[in-house]
Amino acid sequence: MTLYNRRRARNFVILALSLGATGLALLILFLILGTLLAEGVPALNLATFTQTTPPPGSQGGLANAIFGSVVMTIAATLVGTPVGILTGTFLSEYGRTGVLAEVTRFVNDILLSAPSIAIGLFVYVAIVVPMGHFSAWAGSIALAIIVIPVVVRTTEDMLNLVPAGLREAAFALGAPQWKVVVMVTYRAAIQGMLTGVMLAVARIAGETAPLLFTALNNQFGSTNMNAPMANLPVVIFQFAMSPYADWQRLAWGGALLITFTILILNIIARMLASWSGDTK
Amino acid sequence: MRRQQLEDMLFRGTTKLFAVGVLLLLGAIMLALFIGALPAIRAFGFTFLVDSTWNPVKQIFGGAPAIYGTIVTSIIAMLIGVPLALGVAIFLTELCPPSLRRPIGTLIELLAAIPSIIYGIWGLFVLAPFLQSTVQPFLKATLGEIPGFGILFSGPPLGLGILTAGFILAVMVLPFIAAVTRDVFMTVPPMLRESAYGVGCTTAEVVRNIVLPFTRVGVVGGVMLGLGRALGETMAVTFVIGNAHRISPSLLAPGTTISASLANEFTEATGPLYTSSLIELGLILFFITFVVLAAAKLMLLRIERQAAK
Amino acid sequence: MTIEVSPVQTPAHPPMPARAASLAQAPMVSASHTAERAVPQTKVAVKDLRFYYKNYEALKGINIDLYDRRVTAFIGPSGCGKSTLLRVLNRIYDLYPGQRATGQVLVDGHDILTPGQDLNLLRARIGMVFQKPTPFPMSIYDNIAFGIRLYEKLSAQDLDARVEQALRRAALWDEAKDKLKQSGLSLSGGQQQRLCIARAIAVKPEILLLDEPCSALDPLSTQRVEELIAELKSDYTIAIVTHNMQQAARSSDYCAFMYLGTLIEFDETERIFTHPKERQTEDYITGRFG
Repeated sequence: MTLYNRRRARNFVILALSLGATGLALLILFLILGTLLAEGVPALNLATFTQTTPPPGSQGGLANAIFGSVVMTIAATLVGTPVGILTGTFLSEYGRTGVLAEVTRFVNDILLSAPSIAIGLFVYVAIVVPMGHFSAWAGSIALAIIVIPVVVRTTEDMLNLVPAGLREAAFALGAPQWKVVVMVTYRAAIQGMLTGVMLAVARIAGETAPLLFTALNNQFGSTNMNAPMANLPVVIFQFAMSPYADWQRLAWGGALLITFTILILNIIARMLASWSGDTK
Repeated sequence: MRRQQLEDMLFRGTTKLFAVGVLLLLGAIMLALFIGALPAIRAFGFTFLVDSTWNPVKQIFGGAPAIYGTIVTSIIAMLIGVPLALGVAIFLTELCPPSLRRPIGTLIELLAAIPSIIYGIWGLFVLAPFLQSTVQPFLKATLGEIPGFGILFSGPPLGLGILTAGFILAVMVLPFIAAVTRDVFMTVPPMLRESAYGVGCTTAEVVRNIVLPFTRVGVVGGVMLGLGRALGETMAVTFVIGNAHRISPSLLAPGTTISASLANEFTEATGPLYTSSLIELGLILFFITFVVLAAAKLMLLRIERQAAK
Repeated sequence: MTIEVSPVQTPAHPPMPARAASLAQAPMVSASHTAERAVPQTKVAVKDLRFYYKNYEALKGINIDLYDRRVTAFIGPSGCGKSTLLRVLNRIYDLYPGQRATGQVLVDGHDILTPGQDLNLLRARIGMVFQKPTPFPMSIYDNIAFGIRLYEKLSAQDLDARVEQALRRAALWDEAKDKLKQSGLSLSGGQQQRLCIARAIAVKPEILLLDEPCSALDPLSTQRVEELIAELKSDYTIAIVTHNMQQAARSSDYCAFMYLGTLIEFDETERIFTHPKERQTEDYITGRFG
């Protein structure tokens, strides 16, 4: 009986701690979102979306930074996603065993956790220095390098979750392997793969470190991918660390924008996933 | 039917090509960083790793404080973050009413979705002042009084510093580890779980004896992911660490990490040796993450082999 | 890109009456009709088949003939190699490295184990239904159409007709006709398995391999699948692996008892269940081991 009581007590303590951990995590989330709303909402107005970043002490907006972030995120996703999906497909469908797959998997895990700032450095050394100047292309490539391993990993994981029986059933009908992969396996895994891509987009949408030495920043509106381009994260970084109240205010506004964009992206990803789950 | 075989070969070849490309990417990163770091390596050699001088005027650079800060902040983050994340995962899989499981899980995932720069700005303007006024004085008054050990909590509570960076990192890695852990917890076959409950196990015992052993590999994978993120995390740390190139015994003192040094100084670095030294720091950071991940993977392989026996 | 389809595979009657008629005739005990049939033709001849998982020999020299338009049941305790044997017949084992087969498997006199064998074509000729239902993550209609589209280019109307025909033959049409656009996953377990059977027969294979098709089903669904097998055997050569002795007795013409990778006894089902020659067979079917 005492043993039983001790077991029950231990159970209670562990469950209470896990409840507490969850409560703490949620509290922090709400604190962050609350602060963002409180500081960011007053900073947002029409000028935020129409005017470019100001010099200290004058009025302005974030239009050029928003544009730059959108463009570079799209470019990076378009480059990184196909690479990631094809590599993930190789690992799952063709390379369950074999040295190449083993090594690629290992390397991908490292890239996945590789510091994004090191990737920025790499693009600086490999692209910015030879080109002689910072550019939006360099920024997009740095972001794409971050997208790839995320998509590789989720693609492989999701494809691996597809039951072997489903593949066998498709093969048993006489389907060639690429059709099995594209028409059956991808379909079965589409929800997870989409979520992976969305997660990757959400991740790079707020990435700052790899853009610091690649896309840099641009005080003015620029649509030239071959030149430095403003982007929200770097602007937020510069403005928040500055001593100017106007700049800090814009930084909060930008922070609110970026966070809620990413949260909405997450929600869209979920909706997309459940929608495709209903009709597939 | 030739065509089918040709299409199959083409598809397979394409996927393989990209796999090789990903492989080469890592090599390219290392090579590029090494070439960029070469001037600094030539100038300072191994003393770069232990020297804590950082003098742009005299062009003498040592990476020790940044390396120290990177490792210590990550250790703090893991010490705080891993238990919290496990708690969240246990709550979500074992304790949470099913109807709340999805919303709460989603909220935790949103914590991971928040970009690091937001953690930075929040850490600088909200968390740091809060820690300075409450938690840090409390730590000084309690743990700081322990002889020897107390030196970790000596000095004035500044708000900004190693400990604050560790706290922020802990919050940042929590959702990553928790999400992965929850997902792998979910892969435990319900039958296995039910049979354990069936012999009278408490929830905690089911987690300890059934769920954790079954999912060990995945959990370590999640922790690994978190550690990798903590080591290389840049923006959040840059905001709150205080940016001081020195090693202090106290966790309350300001310091720097490799990534924070890079973020703060790279575009303003004057002279090729300064830039090169920063790139060498980046190379070291890349190397540290590489070693951590490789060690984790080898460990996992050994555990797997043991399980197979 | 199309396969030649021999006329015997196409049902001679319009689908619905055909089904009703053969259901009415479908004998629940196989004994009554084995005698009245002519000498069966060999469709598949397995000669000295050995199968290896890495170094483990799972099949130790199997010799057996499967007869055209007859149901052959494989019985035996778990791990005896009956499923393995089935997986050799359409070479699905080829998906996994480390698995290999030696010997000969002659389908219509042609050895399918030769390295040059086109596996996709082979598998299109030999349908397979698995232990667990495996509906593809697409609509019920597309589940059926998937296999047809692989080797035939049909007009939309012809495709519709083929899908309907397959669903009718699998006795699923009435339940599924109003929700062809819904996901195959929305069906119940028994319906899913019949969908898989419909998918397998839609491509008009010559041979149908059923790997414990009823083990995951409730008794009612099992009964429907058995009725289906009885009806399908007028067109197909069917091999079924089953754990269920009654099922083997009810639905097969021939029965093979396997044990530890060898074929112990192969005979007409009636004889196996009434006068087994081997002691081990008798022990197994009377439930003394296994």
